[in-house]
Amino acid sequence: MRSGLVILLVTCVAVAAFALIVQNPFLLDLTFAALLYAVLGQAWNWVSGYAGQVSFGHALFFGCGAYGAALANWHHFSPWLGIASGIVAAAAIALAVGFPCFALRGHYFSIATIAVAAIGEIYVKNADWLNGAVGIEFKLASAGLGSLQFTSKLPWVFLALAVFALVQLATIALENSRMGYYLRAIRANQDAAASVGVDARAWELRALIASAAATALAGSLYAQYTLVVEPESILALPISISIALVGVVGGLGQLWGPALGALTYAFLAKYVAAQLGGSGRGLDLVIYGGLICLIAALRPSGIAGYVRELFARRRLAG
Amino acid sequence: MSALLDVENLQKRFGSLRALDGFSLTAERGKLTGLIGPNGAGKTTAFACISGATKPTAGKIVFDGGEIEGKPYHRVARLGIARTYQVVQTFAEMTVLEAVTVGALMRHPRLSDARAKAADTIEFVGLGPKRDTLGKSLTIADKKRLEVARALATEPALLLLDEVMAGLTPAEAQAAVALLREILGRGITIVMVEHVMEVLMPIADHIVVLSAGKTIFSGTPHAAANDPAVLEAYLGPPIT
Amino acid sequence: MELGPLPQLLVSGVLAGFVFALIAMGLTLIFGVMDVVNFAHGEFLMIAMYLTLGFSLVGLQPVLALPFVALALFLFGAFVYRIFVRRLLEGPPEASIFGTFGLLVLLQGLAQFFFTSDVRSVNNAWFTGAVRLGPIRIGEPELVAALGALVVAIVLYVFIEYTETGRGMRATSEDRIAATLMGIDVQRMNALAWGIGSACVGAAGALLMLTYQVYPRVGAEFALTAFVVVALGGFGSIQGAFVGAILVGLVEVLGGFYISPAVKLIPVYLLYLIVVLLRPQGLLGRR
Repeated sequence: MRSGLVILLVTCVAVAAFALIVQNPFLLDLTFAALLYAVLGQAWNWVSGYAGQVSFGHALFFGCGAYGAALANWHHFSPWLGIASGIVAAAAIALAVGFPCFALRGHYFSIATIAVAAIGEIYVKNADWLNGAVGIEFKLASAGLGSLQFTSKLPWVFLALAVFALVQLATIALENSRMGYYLRAIRANQDAAASVGVDARAWELRALIASAAATALAGSLYAQYTLVVEPESILALPISISIALVGVVGGLGQLWGPALGALTYAFLAKYVAAQLGGSGRGLDLVIYGGLICLIAALRPSGIAGYVRELFARRRLAG
Repeated sequence: MSALLDVENLQKRFGSLRALDGFSLTAERGKLTGLIGPNGAGKTTAFACISGATKPTAGKIVFDGGEIEGKPYHRVARLGIARTYQVVQTFAEMTVLEAVTVGALMRHPRLSDARAKAADTIEFVGLGPKRDTLGKSLTIADKKRLEVARALATEPALLLLDEVMAGLTPAEAQAAVALLREILGRGITIVMVEHVMEVLMPIADHIVVLSAGKTIFSGTPHAAANDPAVLEAYLGPPIT
Repeated sequence: MELGPLPQLLVSGVLAGFVFALIAMGLTLIFGVMDVVNFAHGEFLMIAMYLTLGFSLVGLQPVLALPFVALALFLFGAFVYRIFVRRLLEGPPEASIFGTFGLLVLLQGLAQFFFTSDVRSVNNAWFTGAVRLGPIRIGEPELVAALGALVVAIVLYVFIEYTETGRGMRATSEDRIAATLMGIDVQRMNALAWGIGSACVGAAGALLMLTYQVYPRVGAEFALTAFVVVALGGFGSIQGAFVGAILVGLVEVLGGFYISPAVKLIPVYLLYLIVVLLRPQGLLGRR
């Protein structure tokens, strides 16, 4: 537990220093994206890593947050009100959808999450009060924390860093709590967990609600950052997939998995692909998809699992 | 005082298959009741019904004065029935201490309390030196001990043991018997399934014999060994 | 009683169902034999559609290209099993979900890289008219696609039910350990299931090019429909997939007409949720 806190502190200081030193907007943009993905991957990890219920529908929760912020802007409310309502909406949907769906396991559950998210996407594309398939463009306001609009990218990096630290702290607390133990037990063997009094559905539901809320928070930050929401870029299946893939690449059910996955994603998929002139041409997908295939076939414990093995081996050797 | 567990005429059907067809069992407080029967007699199904893992089709299960048949698995566990599995069901990626802590968390929601309770239980079953070993890396005998520890950590009133002695070496079996006596000494009631009758004879206070889903005998170990119906179920019809 | 457009809708629904059936049969065959859901199934379909497009560019019409596309996809499927899926089976259960999902991302990315996101279609010179049957009017491309799918589906069914290899596959899907004891080479059966399952989408892809356009993300919509069909019929059941596909075809066409074309897939996805929650073994499933 202490080592986790120390690593978190060092990471936050390092990221903050990096953001203050580099002036390059492209790198700041990349840092913001990596932090946001680390948050999304960790939130997903609570349900799909620790509890082992693989969701391919998290774009729905992401969309709740994004549309909450967009609606608030549209109707001249404070963005903070929009964020709060997006989080509440995501949690409510998680409760309503999770309750029946946690009767399912394995691919039955995964496909159900795809179906639910697809229904949500189709609904939004046809809902007038959400401006349908066109989406919502934000009205510009004077910069500041009140309007949650800024003229530079630096405040965004710090905001994302704060949320990232919060989510990591929550995960450290989770790992050292009854809930963390129960979720891991459910993933390992639901039947045996029930035999010692673990109500799998109730705990999975709690994890999903927390996960939905955190994902919605990240969604509203993303919307405030880009100042536009479109169903295609917020709610579509590829968004759900990238959230899941960050979690898988890093390593399921591990504290630093999502952060490592997000770093890999930002570096490989965005930076390298951009350097090779392949952004928008699918090269990021090729690199990332290939990486997932390799990890699934060779190292299911992900990058974080690999790093841990390395350390364990060194400790044995030394 | 009434018996801790009273199972009456339990029925369980899977489609057209009658896995249990008139299973009855009474377990007195603080005693060890042995449940035996030939392969496929329905012993494991009986345990699954008592522990709440599956719902019986008909019949009554009274535990500590209350009817529990059909209650969810995790709730039955909270009432004080813990079990082990015939085919071990460990938490593969958790260490011994972590796995037993999951059990201890049922009565001790604070993690530090639960870990302390788990550590004690691990010592009690003799797994102390292996507390940081992953469940999947244990030997079969140790996995069975781990399951017993996980079940004991929930501080049950009734412990259901499903073939914990099977596959143990004579020395291991002897250690297991000593452990069982200690558990009984703590006032925990045990119902224990064994395929081999000899294992139970010296330790059981009471024997119930199950054949083709039906209770065909209930009495002392000595009477069981001399009961013609029991012998027939085990050895086939007498040769005349 | 005035039937209005109903007969037309029913016929269109059933015809659409035949093509869905072919895609879903491939998916359910793979699942049945080794309990793996191929999340990249739609991307295999996408590859088949691009291949058909390629053949048409050198002058081969989709219907003639069909056997070649199916053969190519057979080899591709068996190859993917041999070098990749086999390893996933050795890992934890999530590995096959993530692995085939990674494949989905990889294949989509490759398609986008080589063919761009442009929407392309085959210049279909053979079937352009329409057939009239009383009040019902059916486009020739739709009719040919549906009948072609029906023929391939029947061939597959006969193969599974009545050949030695097909029986071996069914035995493997019922009980892998028993199959091994009976001397069935499970690895070969798995590779064969991936080959045949992929050949199904190969044939379906060729036929779909008569009526659809291809683009890198075309697979998602069909794959999702195929998941619904497979769940409806019961994971692993070939006959179930066929019945489920016709049901889904009808739901989609009727929903599209009576509710709105934009939301025609909502009833289909709802159907999945209702079926897996209330009857997880599917309508004709065995588990």
